[in-house]
Amino acid sequence: MSTITFTLNNSQVTVDAPPMTRLLDLLREHLHLTGTKEGCGEGECGSCSVLLNGELVNSCLVPTLQVQGATVTTIEGLGEHTHLHPIQQCFLEEGGAQCGICTPGMILATHHLLEKHPAPTLDEIREGLSGNLCRCTGYMRIFEAVQQTAKLAEAGK
Amino acid sequence: MEQQTPQPITESKIVGVPTPRIDGPLKTTGTAMYSSDHHFPGLVYAWPVTATIASGTISGIDSSSAEKMPGVLAIYTHKNIGPLYRTPPSAGFSMILDERRPPLEDEIVRYYGQYVAVAIAHTVEQARAAAEAVKVTYNKTPHDTSDKLLDTPTIAGKLKEVTKRGDTAAALAGAAYKHDAVYSTPTETHNPIELHASVAVYKDGKFTLYETSQAVVNHRDVMAAMLGVPPENVQVITRFLGSGFGGKLWPWPHALLAAASARNLNRPVKLVVGRSMMFQSVGHRPAIDQRVQLAADKSGKLLAIQHDYVNHTSMLDDYDEGCAESTGFMYSCPNVLATSGLVRRNVGTPTSMRGPGAVPGLYALESAMDELATKLNIDPVQLRLLNEPEKDESTGQPFSSRHLKECLTVGAEKFGWAKRNPAVGSMKDAEGRTLGWGVAACTWIATRTDAEVNVELRQDGAARVACGTQDIGTGTYTAVAQMVAHETGLPLQRIDVVIGDSGLPPGPISGGSWATASVVPAALQAAQQARKQLLSLSTKTDGCPFKDKSVDELEFVDGVVRIKGQSSGGVPFAEILKTANVRSVSGTGKSTGLFGDPNQKFSFHSFGAQFAEVTWQPEIARLHVSRVVTVIDAGRMINPRAARNQIEGAVVMGVGMAMLEATEYDHRSGGPINASLADYIVAVNADCPNIDVTFLDYPDFNLNPLGARGVGEIGLAGIAAAITNAVHHATGIRVRNLPVRIEDLLVAPGNKTS
Amino acid sequence: MIDFELTRVGTPDAAVQIAAATPTAQQGATVRFIAGGTNLIDYMKLDVETPQHLVDINRIPDLAKVEKQPDGSLKIGALVRNSDLAQAPEVLAEYPVLSQALLSGASAQLRNKATTSGNLLQRTRCPYFRDLAYAECNKRTPGSGCAAIGGYHRNHAILGVSDQCIATHASDMDVALMVLDAVIHVQGIKGNRTIPIGEFYKLPGTTPHIENALEPGDLITHVTLPALPETKQIYLKLRDRASYEFALASAAIVMQVQGGRLRHVRVAMGGVGTRPWRMPEAEHALEGQAPGEGVFRAAADAALKTARPHTDNAFKIPLAKLCMIRALTTVTNA
Repeated sequence: MSTITFTLNNSQVTVDAPPMTRLLDLLREHLHLTGTKEGCGEGECGSCSVLLNGELVNSCLVPTLQVQGATVTTIEGLGEHTHLHPIQQCFLEEGGAQCGICTPGMILATHHLLEKHPAPTLDEIREGLSGNLCRCTGYMRIFEAVQQTAKLAEAGK
Repeated sequence: MEQQTPQPITESKIVGVPTPRIDGPLKTTGTAMYSSDHHFPGLVYAWPVTATIASGTISGIDSSSAEKMPGVLAIYTHKNIGPLYRTPPSAGFSMILDERRPPLEDEIVRYYGQYVAVAIAHTVEQARAAAEAVKVTYNKTPHDTSDKLLDTPTIAGKLKEVTKRGDTAAALAGAAYKHDAVYSTPTETHNPIELHASVAVYKDGKFTLYETSQAVVNHRDVMAAMLGVPPENVQVITRFLGSGFGGKLWPWPHALLAAASARNLNRPVKLVVGRSMMFQSVGHRPAIDQRVQLAADKSGKLLAIQHDYVNHTSMLDDYDEGCAESTGFMYSCPNVLATSGLVRRNVGTPTSMRGPGAVPGLYALESAMDELATKLNIDPVQLRLLNEPEKDESTGQPFSSRHLKECLTVGAEKFGWAKRNPAVGSMKDAEGRTLGWGVAACTWIATRTDAEVNVELRQDGAARVACGTQDIGTGTYTAVAQMVAHETGLPLQRIDVVIGDSGLPPGPISGGSWATASVVPAALQAAQQARKQLLSLSTKTDGCPFKDKSVDELEFVDGVVRIKGQSSGGVPFAEILKTANVRSVSGTGKSTGLFGDPNQKFSFHSFGAQFAEVTWQPEIARLHVSRVVTVIDAGRMINPRAARNQIEGAVVMGVGMAMLEATEYDHRSGGPINASLADYIVAVNADCPNIDVTFLDYPDFNLNPLGARGVGEIGLAGIAAAITNAVHHATGIRVRNLPVRIEDLLVAPGNKTS
Repeated sequence: MIDFELTRVGTPDAAVQIAAATPTAQQGATVRFIAGGTNLIDYMKLDVETPQHLVDINRIPDLAKVEKQPDGSLKIGALVRNSDLAQAPEVLAEYPVLSQALLSGASAQLRNKATTSGNLLQRTRCPYFRDLAYAECNKRTPGSGCAAIGGYHRNHAILGVSDQCIATHASDMDVALMVLDAVIHVQGIKGNRTIPIGEFYKLPGTTPHIENALEPGDLITHVTLPALPETKQIYLKLRDRASYEFALASAAIVMQVQGGRLRHVRVAMGGVGTRPWRMPEAEHALEGQAPGEGVFRAAADAALKTARPHTDNAFKIPLAKLCMIRALTTVTNA
């Protein structure tokens, strides 16, 4: 058991956990932040995506030992029910969320993608989100949600 | 219950309007509560031990070292799990499950991955470590996981007749144009992204079970029966479901492991089924062989259809895929024979997967139609148009609403089908890639089942609508809210939809594409009853301007009670309730289903046409589905936006079915060997074609007053055939064994290297 | 997963000292370095990797840099993330085959964590290697047999296989490093040494559990890529789905076209070999020739001559040939 201190969604948290506890379980089972979802546990679906020091990672492959002193952003840190982040708003409006299980990870992947490519082409979206599987939507509405977010950001400049 | 006499509702401000999901804010912020998200004080974790043989008996289980591991609370086996029972036979939509044997019933193992024990510990890591430390020894017996099905011994010893008319054998013998081929589809695994999960809470003899269920009411009934407690002692909750595609329709053994462990330990237990276990014990679409024989005259008129299919099932349960469901009515044909057969294999029990029966069945039938069209030298769209029936020839009933011809012609127009050159490999795109264009027709059952809905108009100005159905992800929350919004005039944000709880009035399963259609009459009726009660209260409340008016003089419009036709002087219903000091008025609607009713007046089905374009680059053996045009005739769309989502998702799943997906068994161990999302490949972003979805707007008022059917499954029907037909057009290769793989196409003309 | 000790080190010396205690640096190592962890953690969860001691090397300074050296070579630190390496200006400018290979592999999530040294040591995706329920795996348990031979092996190797192992090497990055003649820099208990990538990976032979030249204590500190004359480069990857999947066949090519002749030709393939597969036979067939379909085909035939397929992966021979021919065609026309 080790004591881990890190910044989670802009607040400092300290937890006791074995060093190989997955960040995914730390979030879901220890801290009860269940917006981060598990789909495979092997880095194959992207549902558990979070931002670790600003970079998109699969939290199922991040042992707690790598979280000490880090900054972690989960879906709960991106926006709130009453005040949605523009990506969340666009996913909602364009139909990018269907059953919703891949949605938190997909939204964080979009966040990461738009940081790298503020005005992504369709190919960049397809490639940038390739680590996030969706079994419901057929992806097209997700592409539109991403493009719409980019458009809003461009218009807001 | 009396049968509903539908009053068609043709105009609406909200039904039929593309509407964002009302649960969207919860889903996009990660606050929607899925089953495994639930947490309770004292919660402990379960991890199953799975059999590593496919047939035999357990000779010993040594859990002594596992029991001593840190955090371990218990290891349960067939010796100490406690009493679990089998269910009585199912009746209607109750007591349904596909794997009827309770987990850990005895020492017999019938498939690889069958649960043989379960470890419970304080953390999930501890439980998993303990499960891995349980030593199980077996007496192995020979197993059979062979995927050769046709012409192997069936359970019944002969093929069962599914539909029959005329003399198929004679027609086949005498016909000038014939086609005869076998189409094989592999075991497919649903793989919803949400893992199956159970969080079982046991307190004072009662179970509260947070389940990944597409049917909470049936789930409660089954769990109660298997746990040996009265149904009132079980509550099943599924607030949000991360999809299921049929895999979560009926309970699976893990739910019993969690509930029994919670009872034994008297504390909450969470069991999340690992992805690899999702290939073993939560159902799959079975492997299927289908032989299709067609005969036609020179003009293309069908003379005979024979469709014989065999699917595998497990050693204990009889799962029939039902591939010939549409064979009898799809086309006009005087001689039709369809048969089915089941063969036993040492596999987990199969179950419904999106479009069961029709999806593989139409892959075979629509592939055969394409092959026949080639033989006849008739355009494949024309061949289908030529054989359009006037009525359902299998039952003699008129179709309630069938517009397949329009689906085909509209689709052909949108796709640009007229420009198709039928010669194999003759068409190129701007980049020089070979194009293949294929078409298939599709159909799916339309029906509705029993439903009960309660609508409450509350003093806080909101409406609450409650029904024991659930939202698999398709948009049931929103559709139900739209129905009540239509009837009450309240905006969507003032309608609370409460579903996903077996304690609510019993609602339909989220399956068969009929949840929405089933809820419609009951929801409308409930809202009407609540309105009646509200108007009645208005006439009886001191201080209310409508006191002593007759109910017939009043109306309830846009959330306001008023004198009929008078736009002024209305009173918001919340004020009336406040004045009366009544917290709420409510109404309950109950409707009886049509499913399985032998006296139906109509043949209810949805129809559609799928047009697919593939690009083929023989120089690198790269095949891509570039474009799909889908035209769907499924009644009125309550929420066209969510409906389009459904079809697009189904099309992309169809790309997977046609080109990627197959559960591979290691026939030596009998276990699925590609049991992960890296090895069982589903379509990713980059595989997604450009998809054009059109809904023909023909409300089916014979089904319900809104004319709504359902679109969950039809989008997957036909798509695999459209793609393989396109592959043939591009490459000249006819793949009759899904999925189409690179190795199938390496021999294509244009590939000089071999 | 078994219990283990965790140590965070701040210097290569400290890392090497701890790791020297392992009896082997190969399968069965009792001490493992952890960097990104994308591969190691997966295998620890599966109990395929069971280190008793984990050494976190992420805090060793200076290992996360990409630097141009005075001699023109490029020094890539062991801890440089795959995503950063793919976008490094020097890589994009001079070694685009490496950038293409990196970006064709895995997903953004994995590339953001995976490191240079971790990728060099990426384990195979053979399902039998991954699953302890299958006792037969010579790579995991020497002498136990090979379940893939006679089992499900559609994506297994056709080159460099033995009767003991047909597991495919899974990396894309390493295939590009093969044609770039990368040099692996190792700090060990006896000091520093360099290993040319061509000598780094071992064939399975009768010892599939020995995958590379690393000894107990060895820490990969960085990789250098020799300066290259101006070349044409390409990485082409063929697979079942359009992204996020291991290769069925991939080709990395570096070459020049001078006076209508092919020069400085290096060819390697992924997805087909038990290690990233450099193809000297193809290079020999191409060097000095005028580009053309016949030459390319002859090179592909020569390169795949020693292929030994099993029932379900024989298609990889024609597929690999197509892949190489297409890559050669594309790169010479670039």
